[in-house]
Amino acid sequence: MLINTVLMFLRELLPLCILLATLLVWHRVLWRQFALYFALPSLLLLSVVSLKMVWISEQLDGLGLELLYSLFYLSCFILLCVSALKAQYALWTSALAAACLFSISGSNLLLYIWLPTQTENTPADLLLGAALGVGIGASIAVLWYYLLTELKQWRSSSFALLLSLSGARQVMMASALLIQSDWLVAGPQLWQTEQWLSEQSELGFFLQALMGYEATPSLSQVLSYLLCFVVLFWCCSLMERKR
Amino acid sequence: MRSLRRYLVTVLIALFTLISFVAALQSYKQSVSRAEALFDQDLQVLASSLSQQYKADSAQELGLALQVWQQGKLVYRSALAPERTMSDAEGFSEHNFGGKRWRVFRQTPNDVLTVIVAQPLQQRQQLADEVITASIYPVVLSLPLQAVLIWLVVSKALSPIQRFSAQLSSKKANDLSPVELDQVPAELDQMLKTTNQLFARLGDAFEREKRFASDVAHELRTPLSVLQVNLHNASQQWQRSGISDPEGSMLALQSGVERMSALIEQIMLLNRTNPEHFQARTEQLDLAGLCRQVVADWYPQIDNKQQQIELLGLEHLSLKGDAFALRLLVSNLVGNASKYTQTGGTIQLELSATQDKAVLVVQDNGPGIAPQEYSRVFDRFYRVGGDRHQSGTTGSGLGLAIVRDIVILHQGQIRLGPSDFSSGLKVTVELPL
Repeated sequence: MLINTVLMFLRELLPLCILLATLLVWHRVLWRQFALYFALPSLLLLSVVSLKMVWISEQLDGLGLELLYSLFYLSCFILLCVSALKAQYALWTSALAAACLFSISGSNLLLYIWLPTQTENTPADLLLGAALGVGIGASIAVLWYYLLTELKQWRSSSFALLLSLSGARQVMMASALLIQSDWLVAGPQLWQTEQWLSEQSELGFFLQALMGYEATPSLSQVLSYLLCFVVLFWCCSLMERKR
Repeated sequence: MRSLRRYLVTVLIALFTLISFVAALQSYKQSVSRAEALFDQDLQVLASSLSQQYKADSAQELGLALQVWQQGKLVYRSALAPERTMSDAEGFSEHNFGGKRWRVFRQTPNDVLTVIVAQPLQQRQQLADEVITASIYPVVLSLPLQAVLIWLVVSKALSPIQRFSAQLSSKKANDLSPVELDQVPAELDQMLKTTNQLFARLGDAFEREKRFASDVAHELRTPLSVLQVNLHNASQQWQRSGISDPEGSMLALQSGVERMSALIEQIMLLNRTNPEHFQARTEQLDLAGLCRQVVADWYPQIDNKQQQIELLGLEHLSLKGDAFALRLLVSNLVGNASKYTQTGGTIQLELSATQDKAVLVVQDNGPGIAPQEYSRVFDRFYRVGGDRHQSGTTGSGLGLAIVRDIVILHQGQIRLGPSDFSSGLKVTVELPL
C-alpha cells in the first residue's frame, strides 16, 4: 500500500535528514567539503552492506545484520563525540557519522524496494510513496536547518542540546537492536506512554527520528540513552567553550 | 551572511511540500477509512438481503433493492423492490419507484434468469460525497496553516530590510553615522555598504564645507580688523594734515571694509546656524523678553535714523528654542527693517500665540519687496536690486538666509507679505510652542 511505502521511507530517511541538517548547521561554511566527505563513505558502505547483505545476515547465528546495524549506530554516536572533542577532525568524523546512519537507512530502503513482497505494490504506488516520503523528509530537513540556525544564534547551547539528543537517539536504536539480539539485557519496562503519544502518530514519528522517542522503554535503554546524552552534551559544551 | 532569495525559495518550497504532502497523506488515510466504511456497508446490505431471502427479520433496512426474475416470473424481491420490474433495459439505467430515484443494473446471464439490482441515487451521492469530502478536508484545513507560515517566513526574511528602513527613518538630519545591522542578507549587503559610504562622503563634504567657510571667514576677520584700524588712523591723519577728500574715497573705502566685515560675521553666523551643523540647545525662553532685548540693542541706530519702533501683543510668550539662534533671528529681522526703512519710518513688532505656535510679525513702512522677489530673498547672497540696492545700505544678502535656517531649525514657518502700512514688508514667523 502507498501508506506503507511512505512510512517506510519516512522511518528510514527522517533521522538521517535531521542529523544531516544539524551537521550542516555546524559545518555551514565548509558544506561542500562536508558533502564530499559524506558522499564517498556513504556510497562505499551502502554498496558493501547491500551487496553482502545475505552473507552478513547469516553470520553470528543469523544476527549479523542486527549486530552490524548496532555497530553503525554506536559508531555514529562515537564519531559525533570525537568530532565535538577534536575540532581538527570534526568535518570528516561527523560526515562519517552521518554516513554510518545513511548505510543503515539506504540498505533498508533498497531491501524494501527489492523485496519479493513488493509485487503487491504497483510501481506507481512505490514511486508515489517514495516521492512523498523523500519530499516530507527533505522538507523537514530544510526547515530544521533554518530553525536550528536561528536557535543557534539565539542560544548556542540549543545546538549542543539537539545534537546530543540526535546522538543519544542512535544509541537508543543500537540498544533496541542489541536487546532484540539478546546481546543486551533489557531490564524492566520503565513506563508506558503509548496512550498519550503513540510512536505511530506524526509527532511520535518525528520525536522518534529526532531523539529516539520510545513509548515503552526498558531500563537498559533509558540508562544508556541518558549516559550517552550527558557524554555528548559535555563534549559539545567543551567544544563551545573552546570556541 | 545568507541570501534572502535562497532562504525564501528553500523555506517556502519546503513548507509547501511538507504541508501538501502531509495533507495528501491525510486525505489518503481519510479516503481509505471512508472507503472501508463503504465496503463494510455493502457487506451489511448483502447480509440484509440474504436474511430477507430466508424470511428472517432483518434488523436493518438498507439501501439496495433486488429482484430475481425467472422466465418472466418474479421469484425474489427484497423489501425495497417493487413488484413490477425495476428496469427493462440491460445494463445501467435510472428509474423512479418507491418515491425515490434509483440507479439500476439489470443483468440477464441466460435466457431464463434476470437479476436486477438498484440503489437510491441520493445514497450513492451521499457515499461519494463522504469519500470526496474526506479527501478534500485536509487540503482545505492546511490552507490557513500555510498562510500563517508563509506570513511568518516572509516577515522573518524581510526583517533585515525593515530594520534597515527603521534605522534610516529614525536618523536625525545631522546624523551621518553609518547604519549597522546584524546578519545582513546578501541582497542588502551592497545597499548597506553604498548607503554607509554615501553617509561617510556626505559627512566629509559637510565637514569640509563647514571648516572651509569657517576657516576662510576666521582668517579674513583678523586682517580686516587691522585694515579697519589702519583706515581709521589714516582718516584721522588726513584730517589732522588737512588733506581733503572731495571724492569721498576714504569714506567709500571705509564703507567697503565695514561691509566686508559684516559679510564675514554673517557668513560665520550662517555657518553656525545651518541646520545641518547646528546643535541646538533648546531651553524654555521668553520670546517677548528676547524681542525687548533686541529692540534695546538696535535702539541707538533706530533713534539715529529717527525711526519709530513699537512692540505690540503679548508681554510674555514662553516657548522652547535656542536662545542664541532666536535672538539672531529677531535681530536680523529688526536690523533689516531698520536698514531698509527710510529715515523717520516706522517699525512694528507684534507677538501673538495660537494653541500650538508663537507668531512674531515684524513689519515696516519702508519700500518693501516686490512679491516676485519673496522666494528669492531667502537665497544666500541674494540682494534685491543687486549690490546697488536703492536704499544705499550695505548688506551681505545673508540675513534672511540665516533667519530661514533658524526657522527650519525650530521646525517653524516664515512668510513674507505686504505690510499693513501703506507700503513696506511684513515678515511673519511661526514657531512651535
